[in-house]
Amino acid sequence: MNIAPRYLGRGSWLARRDPRVLIVGLALFVFSVIQVWDLRILVGLALVAAVYYRSARIPFHSVRLQWAYIVFFVSFIVLANTILTGGDLRDVKSQALHVYFRMPLLNTPLSAESTSYAMAQYLRFLSMAAVGFPIAFAVAPGDIGPAFARLGVPDKFAYALDLTFRFIPSLAADMRATIDAQRIRGYEWEKKGRGPIGKLTRTVPLLVPVTVNAIVGAEDTIDAMDLRAFGTGRRSWLRELAMDRTDRLVLAGFGLLLLAVTAASLTGLTRLWVPPFLLPA
Amino acid sequence: MEGLTFRYRRGRQPAIRDLSVELEAGEVLLVAGPSGCGKSTLIRAVNGLIPHAYPGDLTGSVWIDHARIAERPLREIARMVGTVLQDPAKQIVGSTVEAELAFGPENLGVPPAAIRDRIAAVMARAGIVGLQGRDTAALSGGERQLLAVAGALMLTPSLYVIDEPLANLDPATAARLMAILRELADEGHGVVIVEHRVEEALDLRPDRVLYLDAGEARYLGPVEGFFEVADPGVVKVPFEVALAHERRLARRAGLSEGWAATPKGAATNVGPPRLVFESVHVTLGDQHVLRGLSASLAQRQIVAVLGPNGSGKTTLFRTALRLLEPDAGTVTVDGERTTQRSVAQLARVLGYVFQSPSQMLFARTVREELLFGPRNLGLPHDDGFAMEALRRTELHDLEGILDRPPLSLSFGQQKRLALAIALALQPPTLVLDEPSAGQDHGTATRFMAAVAGIPGLESVYFVTHDVDLALTHADRILVIRDGQIAADGSPREVVQDEEAWRACNLRRTSLIAANLAWEPAPGRFLDAVTLARAVLAHELAGRSAGEARAAGEGG
Amino acid sequence: MSTAALTRDDTWAVSSRTIVYAAIGAALYAVAAQFSFLLPGTASVSLRPGFAIVTFFGFAFGPIVGLFVGLVGNALADQISGWGLLTSWNWSIANGVVGLLTGLLGIWLAATIRNRPMRSAVAAAVAIVIGFLIVFSDIWLGTAKDVGVAFASNYLPVVVSNLIVAVILTPILVAAWDPVRESIGR
Repeated sequence: MNIAPRYLGRGSWLARRDPRVLIVGLALFVFSVIQVWDLRILVGLALVAAVYYRSARIPFHSVRLQWAYIVFFVSFIVLANTILTGGDLRDVKSQALHVYFRMPLLNTPLSAESTSYAMAQYLRFLSMAAVGFPIAFAVAPGDIGPAFARLGVPDKFAYALDLTFRFIPSLAADMRATIDAQRIRGYEWEKKGRGPIGKLTRTVPLLVPVTVNAIVGAEDTIDAMDLRAFGTGRRSWLRELAMDRTDRLVLAGFGLLLLAVTAASLTGLTRLWVPPFLLPA
Repeated sequence: MEGLTFRYRRGRQPAIRDLSVELEAGEVLLVAGPSGCGKSTLIRAVNGLIPHAYPGDLTGSVWIDHARIAERPLREIARMVGTVLQDPAKQIVGSTVEAELAFGPENLGVPPAAIRDRIAAVMARAGIVGLQGRDTAALSGGERQLLAVAGALMLTPSLYVIDEPLANLDPATAARLMAILRELADEGHGVVIVEHRVEEALDLRPDRVLYLDAGEARYLGPVEGFFEVADPGVVKVPFEVALAHERRLARRAGLSEGWAATPKGAATNVGPPRLVFESVHVTLGDQHVLRGLSASLAQRQIVAVLGPNGSGKTTLFRTALRLLEPDAGTVTVDGERTTQRSVAQLARVLGYVFQSPSQMLFARTVREELLFGPRNLGLPHDDGFAMEALRRTELHDLEGILDRPPLSLSFGQQKRLALAIALALQPPTLVLDEPSAGQDHGTATRFMAAVAGIPGLESVYFVTHDVDLALTHADRILVIRDGQIAADGSPREVVQDEEAWRACNLRRTSLIAANLAWEPAPGRFLDAVTLARAVLAHELAGRSAGEARAAGEGG
Repeated sequence: MSTAALTRDDTWAVSSRTIVYAAIGAALYAVAAQFSFLLPGTASVSLRPGFAIVTFFGFAFGPIVGLFVGLVGNALADQISGWGLLTSWNWSIANGVVGLLTGLLGIWLAATIRNRPMRSAVAAAVAIVIGFLIVFSDIWLGTAKDVGVAFASNYLPVVVSNLIVAVILTPILVAAWDPVRESIGR
């Protein structure tokens, strides 16, 4: 598994935006989406998300696995919410359900309402993921720290974010080296047997050396930081961030979206809506 | 620096005692001494980490340009002293070259435009303009070292402190680094370089040497005087110095029996091949590392694999153990294709010892650690078995060793434990990756001698970038360059091919010249002390042949 | 400052040491995410051995480090898997709170439970049971429809799986780290 940050969207329209736009934009979008259950509005939001995602020009074949993971987990969440609840839905009385049939064993009703709900749930998650993706793939890894610092996060913590990205590739390499060192001793993590607890304890020969080594090695990193006066006063950031007109427009767009959705939500316009074609004749 | 003594909070004894040095502007001071001599403590006292980050008892004081270090905040000291720590990989905090260079000035709140100008100037000065925009994770060891030096240059300090910069550098990069440091000194900066590879550090033309041992100054003065007191078994000095040292010793104490061990020649009957590579190609990511490499390593042979960084020397043995799969070509172990066996089965023939022992230590006790492998493979795994592995690596004498947490052992003991762990699978051959990593010259030499002396071992293959270590401990040298064998033969044969030697960016040390001149044992090179004694014994024998013969018969 | 015993004074101090440990922990959590696996017989309860990094760092290096490792580590692991940095932001906060609480409980329980590995297991367990109550916010966010779903499909699985992970692995990490801590002389 490749866990090093991949700057796949390099040079795209979205990658040229101020990284703060991507972070704040996502936050505004997420808060818009979670207020909406009406499929019609959700389709609109999903379209916004799709256009936004396209502008990052992330090649699909590089992120296939990630999308598969999302679809799998969204499916699970949707199933849990439609089956576990016995078909009850927020805002809808159970007498008012248009039931197609009851599932064998569980006796959970499958209705036009629960189908609409499932569709809404899918759209919500897929659009949030689509807007979130570019932060991973269209922001230069070195820009994350400055972006958060300029969003008001204290310098030290913003730098800790930078440092986290600095450590990921080297710790991943340490992990590979330890896996090799243990394989030589007849160790295989994937080995069968001894159940889930066995599988869990089989990570000990990997987690312990990598963790302890990383902490011991940190002594030098700490010294190197102290020697260059880290945390002794207000720091500057080499990377200067400046929003241009486009950046401000994009943010204003997301802001307006949130306002509009919130207004609609307060007037009850964002509740679950059942498309007519789902209703039994 | 006046009467400096420091004891760490947890330490029983002071790590340094009563040190006084005065460094003029433009002066280069070389600090030499074995591991644990107090040089790290000295560095920390100079750059202010003592007392600011390391609590303890400090007496005496360090002054820089009339400022007393202990009284100044780290923020000010950062502009006075630039430090380059030993391991460049760990001191780099930036993800990119520019982020790393900007780190110091950013912390001091320097405006971005000024930082940018400074970066351009420093990159040009350090000769790393080619590294612009690179990710630090993708840099080679040498590039990282230069970047670390450049990071220190960013804050324009008046004093530079550099800890063991030569450990991982090939001669070309080392020469570049020395040139930068020399230039700094010539401009009037102070330079303190800590290095036990004295022979290489002499290229910097140090003005004075401080020889530290057990926290005390054994010598402080010009280089010539240092050579009179230096112990060649501890620091790496030019061979002539080692010879003179042994001669003085011999004159003072006389020759005791067994003083000059008769050097053993290389094994002549090396047996059938153990490990054979046939036009092997290996790719790592997008790098074609091994490019059709063919070689055959014999059953009873000590083979050293030398080569510049990134030449593929470590990849070679990782492929042999199937930790990497070749794209093309075949690898056979004892006549059988490696594809027929698992990693662990191969480790029962080729006991692989990783560079850093702590990469694999995880268990609560040494016993569990040792028996992890045998247990996984269904081999016998009782205490007796564990003790036997410890005995072969001379760890069995440590009290209660079986029940101690492996991570509480000293670094040297951990290295031996790593050997014992490999030996617990009872392989006839050991494969060592960079056995000298993290050890000083004397310790590394003793470690290799101990490995060669392990009872019941047929052969040792090791990978190193330390030329002298390879030449003095192996019967056969393989030099790898660009994923192919560039030279193959006895130590004498490979160094005589001067062109290939230089093309591989390898150093010609004074020890090589001495071994070539004297050739004390057929097919083998000797380390400085052993060679010096052999030469002296030979001289004495020449002077009074009768006496020597009598001694020889008596022995 | 010292790593040996976090006194009350430096519990909340943020030094270079805090920042480096926090960054290492968060990066390790992200790296260790590759070892997650589904509990057999369940569809969504996954054991994430890397979660022990959160409780261990919280316990060993204090609440601030624990908070950062949980919050940033989880967001990063989500981002790497593609789930998105903020899609489950409330879960990242829950992870952070668990790290923070483990650090605090480690200090509060110092007098009660002398045995450090044991103390770390207890601190982690309590922190998990309390900290993950935050995932009930899924009801408000619309990811879970009601308390029943939030409990059965969010809270219970995450608490059970992380309890198993943390109670087994945290003490092992503490036991391995303690002898080394002694030898790093500061």
